[in-house]
Amino acid sequence: MEARVAGVPEDEESGLLPRPSTAGRRPSSRGPRFPPPPAAWATVDGPLGLPLEEAEGHARRFFLWGFACLPFLWAINCCYFWPVLRSPAAFSPAAFGSIRPYVVRSAIGFTIFSVVLITWATTFIVGGERLFGPGWNDLVMYNVADKLGLSGFMG
Amino acid sequence: MADAAPAVPGDPPARATVLDSLGEDITRIVYPVSACMLLVVLLVSLLSSPDSPSPLTASIAAATGGGGGGGDNIPTALITALTFVVTVTAATFLLALLFYLRCTPCLRAYLGFSALAVLLVLGGQVALLLLTRLRLPLDAVSFALLLPNAAGALALAALAPASVPIALHQAALVAIAVLTAFWFTLLPEWTTWALLVAMAVYDLAAVLLPGGPLRVLLELAIERNEEIPALVYEARPVDPRHGRNWRLWREGRQPGGDLDASSTTVEVIEEVLGRHLDANSGNGSSPQFREAATSAGDVNNSRPQATLAAALSSSDFTQAEVVPALQEHRVAVAEMRVPLIQPRPERSGEEEEDEDGIGLSSSGAIKLGLGDFIFYSVLVGRAAMYDYMTVYACYLAIIAGLGITLLLLAFFRKALPALPVSIALGVVFYVLTRTLLEEFVVQCSTNLLMF
Repeated sequence: MEARVAGVPEDEESGLLPRPSTAGRRPSSRGPRFPPPPAAWATVDGPLGLPLEEAEGHARRFFLWGFACLPFLWAINCCYFWPVLRSPAAFSPAAFGSIRPYVVRSAIGFTIFSVVLITWATTFIVGGERLFGPGWNDLVMYNVADKLGLSGFMG
Repeated sequence: MADAAPAVPGDPPARATVLDSLGEDITRIVYPVSACMLLVVLLVSLLSSPDSPSPLTASIAAATGGGGGGGDNIPTALITALTFVVTVTAATFLLALLFYLRCTPCLRAYLGFSALAVLLVLGGQVALLLLTRLRLPLDAVSFALLLPNAAGALALAALAPASVPIALHQAALVAIAVLTAFWFTLLPEWTTWALLVAMAVYDLAAVLLPGGPLRVLLELAIERNEEIPALVYEARPVDPRHGRNWRLWREGRQPGGDLDASSTTVEVIEEVLGRHLDANSGNGSSPQFREAATSAGDVNNSRPQATLAAALSSSDFTQAEVVPALQEHRVAVAEMRVPLIQPRPERSGEEEEDEDGIGLSSSGAIKLGLGDFIFYSVLVGRAAMYDYMTVYACYLAIIAGLGITLLLLAFFRKALPALPVSIALGVVFYVLTRTLLEEFVVQCSTNLLMF
């Protein structure tokens, strides 16, 4: 894979395995065993997150499943692949290029969903009965819960 | 490392000591426990009203024939607690049987179902209670849209830690624990205390006795080198040697195979300490906790898999509403193979589960079963129903108990239950606070001596 970070050894594996020939390439302060991770990580967890090869499939799956009325999956997608979203298209490593469309579309989808929801909820709260008439009381959640006896289980 | 601190002879300044990371390890497990307890206390304070007993209390009272005080007397409490413990034991044996028969899909399905049920049903109830009590004018459409969404996303985060940010996964586990703990605080008072004590005793027996269900399950998992699916909170690992948090999440460690089969929970502390000691001893060939490149042929984790099956953390009361037994299944940890570590042998997903115990994961982070979160929070929540003084006392007692358990873990190096010490201390402190401290503080206050 071609993800590279500037100033990092070419061979992404060289840093971790102690090899005498590469001793000169690593900063001496780090010792022979733990150079900084050279690859760019697609997920917000960095080396603890998904490896790059699985990232694209994951992003796509979450994007598609988000259409099943699960917009929070889009939000998770955006949060999880935040580095992909943040790095500008011109400078991001090549591996991000396949992930980026899904993440960007997830972000757009979640933004649209949240705007619609917040608009509706705010209208409902602020408008109140003046706007909706007696129907407001039928829609507000605590009345619905009382009517249907939903909260009776816990009292 | 050219700079050597002149004041420290012979101690390379870049080398981390045990304290550097052990403190952070412990902090990373104390934070979520504290957050869980805080949330439960908040919910209890907001939602419980002593004058209206919850329907749960009423149904238990009715079902047990109603003794004095509406079912909140000691015999009823003992009977209920005993029933609960028996149910949990039976369910754990059932879990062990299923695991023995290798029905992992049904275990996973059960885990998914219970997590989703807790989040949807209990979460919905709590949300409705909050809306009703606080009179928040949320409309039904938004609620119907948000609740299943949030429940589904959190359930996914709890069950598939590989697909979501670690923070979200941990938050989902804490959310499940908070909801279950809140549900438990709705029980009548004596029942709650009896239940806590019974569960502490059960935990002690199940983990330490040779015939205990958790031990059986654990040994099964170890000898098969498999993982038991369960819900376990795993703290984000801290890497002392690197001096930063770059860590190979759930990297299989290939420890020296001298850990015996039953050491699930304590392994962690031991390995952490061992790791620190090794790192400190300055040997070039530090134990291969990370690389594990040495044992190339040792694909599976030679380290005994601490997998205590998730015992049920909630049982179904025969009288009260049946709650789906909340099995903690540790989701098989998808191996997080870091692409940089190509030559490393691939580890099979290892999992350590420690349902009611405490331990360390392969990456050196501390793991604590969700059952412990739940019962700690139940204790503190029940203390909150009396007064905040008892909350503070019980919180300190529980954290102290947790610290003691970790210490014992390091000494004994075998699977240890996390409930008994903390619950014992918590109950003792609750009783002492309520009888002695409160009297003292009230007297001091009324005499304007101390506020």
